[in-house]
Amino acid sequence: MNAKHEDEMIIRNATVVNADGEREADVWIRNGKIEAVGRGLTRPAAREVDARGKHLFPGFVDLHAHLRTPGREDEEDFASGSRAAAKGGFTTLFCMPNTEPAIDLEGIAWWVREEGRRVGLVDIYPVGSITRERKGKILTEFCALRHAGCRTLSDDGDSLADSLLMRRAFEYAKLADVLLVSHCEDAQLSQGNSMRESRISSRYGISAVPDIAESIIAARDIALAQYTGGRLHLAHVSSAKTVTLLRQARAAGVRVTAETCPHYLVFTVEDVEKSGFDSHYKVNPPLGTADDRAALRAALRDGILDCVATDHAPHSRIEKELPFEDAPFGINGLETAFSALYTHLVLTGACTLPQIIRSLSFAPAAVAGFTDRGAIAPGYTADLVLADLSRCWTVTEEEWCSKSVNTPFLSRKLSGVIECTWYRGRITYQEQRSG
Amino acid sequence: MLGIKALPREEIEAIFSLAKSFQEISTREVKKVPALRGKTLINLFFENSTRTRTSFELAAKRLSADVVNFSASSSSLAKGETIIDTVKNLEAYHPDIFVIRVGSSAALYALTQHTEASIVNAGDGRNEHPTQALLDMFTVSQQLGSCEKLKVLIVGDILHSRVARSNMFGFRKFASQIILCGPPSLVPFDCAEEGIRVEYDLDAAVESADVIIMLRVQQERQTSAFFPSLREYSKNYALTPRRLARARKDALVLHPGPVNWDVEIHSSLKWRVHPLILKQAENGLAVRMAVLFSVGTKKRTL
Repeated sequence: MNAKHEDEMIIRNATVVNADGEREADVWIRNGKIEAVGRGLTRPAAREVDARGKHLFPGFVDLHAHLRTPGREDEEDFASGSRAAAKGGFTTLFCMPNTEPAIDLEGIAWWVREEGRRVGLVDIYPVGSITRERKGKILTEFCALRHAGCRTLSDDGDSLADSLLMRRAFEYAKLADVLLVSHCEDAQLSQGNSMRESRISSRYGISAVPDIAESIIAARDIALAQYTGGRLHLAHVSSAKTVTLLRQARAAGVRVTAETCPHYLVFTVEDVEKSGFDSHYKVNPPLGTADDRAALRAALRDGILDCVATDHAPHSRIEKELPFEDAPFGINGLETAFSALYTHLVLTGACTLPQIIRSLSFAPAAVAGFTDRGAIAPGYTADLVLADLSRCWTVTEEEWCSKSVNTPFLSRKLSGVIECTWYRGRITYQEQRSG
Repeated sequence: MLGIKALPREEIEAIFSLAKSFQEISTREVKKVPALRGKTLINLFFENSTRTRTSFELAAKRLSADVVNFSASSSSLAKGETIIDTVKNLEAYHPDIFVIRVGSSAALYALTQHTEASIVNAGDGRNEHPTQALLDMFTVSQQLGSCEKLKVLIVGDILHSRVARSNMFGFRKFASQIILCGPPSLVPFDCAEEGIRVEYDLDAAVESADVIIMLRVQQERQTSAFFPSLREYSKNYALTPRRLARARKDALVLHPGPVNWDVEIHSSLKWRVHPLILKQAENGLAVRMAVLFSVGTKKRTL
């Protein structure tokens, strides 16, 4: 890896963006930690980086990514996934357990953590499964998984159909101090169907999923969290109805947090039609309507939706070449997350830059229980992202890091170029500028 | 353009006038004209069909095109070959027209950029079956003089029907009103847009209808899970003499075939409705000749 060790460094004159705002400052880094943030720092630093006119963010924390390993290393592995993450500004990443085998045992969780460390570009945390083999029948050993580094547990890809088992999981999670992440999908209602039920799905006869397939399970899990006093995190929220439930739950004091993904904030069912039913727009839960997107954006501004996670879901070229209804679900998201949000939310005035940074860094770090990351402040880990927001880039296969290229942003122009990512003070990504 | 949705009214009318002139060919002693001589057509069927495929094959042969049938069962997909691969492979033989049927809805849009040949949609999942709608509309124009400002009732499993979808878009281009009638569980979500009305009660829906399109109950597609029993279905949605009497006296009854007699249409009406249903099949040939002729001379899609 091209990770260069920086014992001591000052990043000068950057616009430092935190969840609570932005200001121009110097950032002094020593031994992988942020020592000081302020104007005109004079320290005997080994190296100085001039960041005038550029923005500096706390490293992004992705609570939801699929690195496909073990099992589908042809689609992604720890090395390629880590490079993609670093390029996208991520310094902490949670990888989901719908692998083969599933991350349902201490040993597998250890192995994931170790393999992530070996690559060393991003802090990879395994998400353990809630049930053995993700079959929804028998709980995994929560305490053992926690010991092996699992801060969160999820059967992502499926909901637990058994409400009693989910109740037990909420209760038992208190002992193990793990956060349950719920993939909300009533499988009987969704039937594995391809797009959001809407006027467009009806016009084209595309097999469809109603938005209530998500909100019914969200309502159940919120009720269970409230009843048991447990903690709940809702994965990839895609509908206005779930946002409404979330608002009510928050107001009632339920311990629930939630994430959405860049694609739900950017695209709608209309884009699926416009693309000619390109399978790159097929994702689970499916893209919603313009009303859903508006509700998600509003909730992101309010902080009701805490986080943006990528739900990075690499798929092989050949599988995504299948017709829309036959292709697998998923969007490859690590490399485009920030620029997509900056282009489609910040530049359009839908959100402010600090709101986006809150959702990518501060909030997910807090949700996962970290106290050493998610902000640029003294004592915090030197996980940093330097970006030039005045420049654009075009998403191309040539400069793609993930092993799979299943992104609807392919060939699109995005604003905001990530120039450099530091993970614990070391450079893990640096833009190669041609010419 | 892989369906009626994007087909302008003028083009539909052009196809009708071509179809009218092609009708006579099938009554000749030598049933052949050299209109598409030297052109190659591949009937590419990813889903079983004998009637539609035969109709396209005959239509192409009567225009002197060379026809090859390629039935790619789902097994070739299981072997790892995608539809795009199959089309690219066949593209090596330089065909002029692909006639494609596929099980997935809207699967053909992504295909057009992978071939130089024209594509005719012979049914893509539940999306469209444009030539079926064209032949339905052609039949109606022949019988009633035009498709203009009619009350068109479509009865049965609307949800899974590509025939219903194509007809819904087609007839509305002629300012006709569509009434969709079927069990509520088989009527698509939020489908009542301009010119479309939903009515669950067939007795009410049939009132003064000019055209009644009866859809096939596709038992092979587990449609039966959407209603309690065939008995109850036909009680509510079969066309009976009593119901037909509520429509206009000269109302046309169409069916894409094959009919499940006594499920969709009461068999005592066979003498009344069957001749026109057979006429549909005959018109289908002329309409498909017209379609093939219009896409065979330059690259386009239908």
